[in-house]
Amino acid sequence: MKSLAELDKLREEIQREMALREKKEGIKVVVSMGTCGIAAGARDVIAVLLEEISRRNLQDVVLTQTGCAGLCHCEPLVQVEGPGGEKVTYGHVDEQKAREIVAAHLVNGQVIKEWTVKEEGERV
Amino acid sequence: MEELSWHIMDIARNSLEAGATYLKIVVDEHTADNQLRFMVQDNGPGMPDYVQKRLLDPFFTTKTGKKVGLGLPLLQAAVERCGGSLEIWSRPGTGTRVTAVFPYFCWDRPPLGDIPRTLTGLLAGQESLHLYYRQTYDGREFIFDTAEVRAYLQGLPLVTPGVLVWLNQYLGEGINSLYGGGRNEIARRAG
Ligand code: FES
Repeated sequence: MKSLAELDKLREEIQREMALREKKEGIKVVVSMGTCGIAAGARDVIAVLLEEISRRNLQDVVLTQTGCAGLCHCEPLVQVEGPGGEKVTYGHVDEQKAREIVAAHLVNGQVIKEWTVKEEGERV
Repeated sequence: MEELSWHIMDIARNSLEAGATYLKIVVDEHTADNQLRFMVQDNGPGMPDYVQKRLLDPFFTTKTGKKVGLGLPLLQAAVERCGGSLEIWSRPGTGTRVTAVFPYFCWDRPPLGDIPRTLTGLLAGQESLHLYYRQTYDGREFIFDTAEVRAYLQGLPLVTPGVLVWLNQYLGEGINSLYGGGRNEIARRAG
């Protein structure tokens, strides 16, 4: 079984990797965690995003959460904000879509248009 | 809501939105007494009386732009379906505490669900949050305290994805050991 003492080793590993990588302009990923976001499965979306960001060692990505976005019927919502401030919002995100958003958008900079929603909540 | 841990997350999110920096979450399972109890306590600003009175009103919210109120009416409904109880205590300037009690063996009771994902999900992006979690199962106890974790991390942010992923596994193993290692409820949906 894991013990917290193992965190020493993990910390050293992560710090070593961080020192090797050059820091690029940051990407912000925001998951809305209002009541309907949670009820629609946003928690598992966060879990998968964390796994993928960590597995791919994406050090320039910051994952945060926010409250209600007022778009109940499109939850779970994930907003990606690029280094230049450009924002893309994905709706109805599930675990599988979350993985693909990381691969396409965060790694390769390709927006997956079909899954984006407008602020009013319509599908684009 | 499918899992009690979603309710826990929802209550805790409300605490964070209100500005809490400390969260204490306790889950007690007493199968002999046929009881499952959970509590979420914060050091947030607390709620004035008029808000407390309307907490269980599904259309009441203090936030603009939000279409439904707090998730508490949903929790209230879940509690009522099982004949459990819900207590909300709040004092302005001190904090808020929500306690829900369910019969352990009740067909209608949602499963506790995935506590590790709930806790690491709450921590994601919240570097200044101090989270204390305690779970007991028939007298066995598991405690998780981010203060202790941060001491080991020596300045590396706890919200580093690699750290949260590790903590998720650590929590899973720790909680699983409460049940003697074999646990059915934590089974995650495929995908
Ligand atoms: S919680 Fe549903 S729109 Fe905000």
